[in-house]
Amino acid sequence: MKQYNNFFGDFGGRYVPEVLRGPLSELEEAYTNAIKDPDFLAELKDFQKTFIGRPTPLLHAENATKTLGGADIYIKLEGLANTGAHKINNAAGQALLAKRMGKKRVIAETGAGQHGVATASACAKLGLDCVIYMGTEDIRRQRPNVYWMELFGAEVRGVNSGSCTLKDAVNEAFRDWTASYKDTHYLLGSALGPSPYPDMVREFQSVIGNEVVTQTEDIKIDAMVACVGGGSNAIGFFSPFIEKDKPRLIGVEAGGRGKGAGNNAVRMDDSGKLGIVQGYKSYFLLDDDGQVQPTHSISAGLDYPGIGPQLASLGESGRIEFQSATDKDALEALKFFASTEGIIFAMESAHAGAAAIQLAKDLGKGRNIIVNMSGRGDKDLFISAAALYGDKWKEFLEEEAKRI
Amino acid sequence: MEETNIITHFIAGYPDLKASLATAKGLIDGGAAALEMQIPFSDPSADGPVIENASRKSLEAGFKVADGFNLVKLIHDYADVPVYIMSYSAIVYNMGVDKFVQTAVEAGVKGLIIPDLTPGNDEGLYASGKAHGIDVVPVIIPAVSDERMSEIMAEKPEWAYLALRSGITGSYTKLDDENIGFLERLKKYDAKIMAGFGIRTPEQVEVLAPHCDAAVVGSYIVDSVTKLWNETPFDYDAVKTVAEKSVRYLFTGRG
Ligand SMILES: Cc1ncc(COP(=O)(O)O)c(C=O)c1O
Repeated sequence: MKQYNNFFGDFGGRYVPEVLRGPLSELEEAYTNAIKDPDFLAELKDFQKTFIGRPTPLLHAENATKTLGGADIYIKLEGLANTGAHKINNAAGQALLAKRMGKKRVIAETGAGQHGVATASACAKLGLDCVIYMGTEDIRRQRPNVYWMELFGAEVRGVNSGSCTLKDAVNEAFRDWTASYKDTHYLLGSALGPSPYPDMVREFQSVIGNEVVTQTEDIKIDAMVACVGGGSNAIGFFSPFIEKDKPRLIGVEAGGRGKGAGNNAVRMDDSGKLGIVQGYKSYFLLDDDGQVQPTHSISAGLDYPGIGPQLASLGESGRIEFQSATDKDALEALKFFASTEGIIFAMESAHAGAAAIQLAKDLGKGRNIIVNMSGRGDKDLFISAAALYGDKWKEFLEEEAKRI
Repeated sequence: MEETNIITHFIAGYPDLKASLATAKGLIDGGAAALEMQIPFSDPSADGPVIENASRKSLEAGFKVADGFNLVKLIHDYADVPVYIMSYSAIVYNMGVDKFVQTAVEAGVKGLIIPDLTPGNDEGLYASGKAHGIDVVPVIIPAVSDERMSEIMAEKPEWAYLALRSGITGSYTKLDDENIGFLERLKKYDAKIMAGFGIRTPEQVEVLAPHCDAAVVGSYIVDSVTKLWNETPFDYDAVKTVAEKSVRYLFTGRG
């Protein structure tokens, strides 16, 4: 696959006001040079090894497999990367690039807070100023991550517009960048936005898939499963396999509370409409007039109303199959892998876990599935404990509040 | 003395549909040379908080794109003033670029300003505008290179819009050698220039006037309407008056 494509079939492109054309061409040039430069790649590789903790393990989930009685499940443990999710792969790559470009300041949007934490961490390590935009609704849902970002020295700016979630944080980051691009890099966190972001984010995330290739030399993989918000963990995980016709690649969207506009963030069934939003052409959840629709998911990282252009294109061509998992499915999967394997999926990743559970049963014995655990679930403590422990958790919080 | 032209920007459907018509009438009576009507979009990432909030209020009050085109007709029932539509690619692309252009022509719109559909990346907007005889106004900035300027001007627009500084709409813009100097450099092109972004005082209008064909005023008008509406909502006559006064204030000595 080419490292810079701009368009993926009909999808992608760079639909931005004149003022952002310059900064985006500068970024395109810096990225396409760096990604071929052995010095940059060596620096990145060293950073991945010593700071991120790569390669991340591939776990054979034998207990889960036995319990389900179907296909063998393997779990790529991206949650073991420093800062707890795959987001650091891209944050580190772009932060190194920002430094190479001579930028002093980095801005980023964040939904679940994982990208914000990863960016703040990489900036702390590399000595870059860092501002993170985060919707106030997401700040409420993912408060612990706000503390980590601040501990890393980043300034977290609450975004109180629109739905107060990820897409609004993206708008705010673009607003900042429009005035600040001379000394500032916008470190976008998913495989979306105007080019070169979808290409660049995929390349920095492709380390996940490349490790899987090495780790599965002796295993015949039948299917790979990843959750899809904007699509960065999925596209990186699938990347080495996209141009082959095997294995099956399955993307899992947020099914939320179920069907109906506003209840989920499923774009790849009939709900998604071809549109141009936030600088790129792809499928979005829009109303009749083209206004962006509200979404819902239990996970703050999957409730984005658009999907990365390359995934949309691969969905259209049929190379990637799309499914969805509901809030409830995700919570069940979280419990299942915790009790059978002793690992806690991030709520986002648990959507992929839920689809893998079903697929293992459907495929049956003798087949192999790899599920990408894009992140670990520590950050979700306040969501999962409230959902799974209800009153006991409330009691604890009340006592704790009295104590401090 | 140079004639001063002021183009005023307002948000369709804000604070509600009737009030936006009253605003438009006031702007016309205040002496606006043309109106720039923004069709609200849910995610206006090139706009600052003033216009963003106004857009959201309009949408919350139930604004539909069709109402916007209808509003243009109602404005023309009142006066024969040029009306430009400003909006985002999402809205234009959703209707279909050609259909949007045709609908605008039928509604009597003079021109379209769609900042995130730029020449070369425009989904056929410029060609469609030419085919249907409506002006598509490119938005440029002082940082644009000569090479890129030639590309843009190859579209032969009647008007071009100069955003006087980088960043988003709203806050005050300092007029300095960079932006005024750039305006002078633009004189070598055939296109007439409307210049805006952060124009809120008669002093700024006066400084700009000799260097361009029209000054564009946006957030300042929205602010005035918002202030009034917060104090006396649903007083449509008052909305018209405040819009009119805002424009008069901006013409030096004619306040
Ligand atoms: C752990 C985790 N997985 C997945 C996602 C979704 O993003 P993407 O689809 O870009 O991988 C997020 C986003 O915040 C996340 O934190």
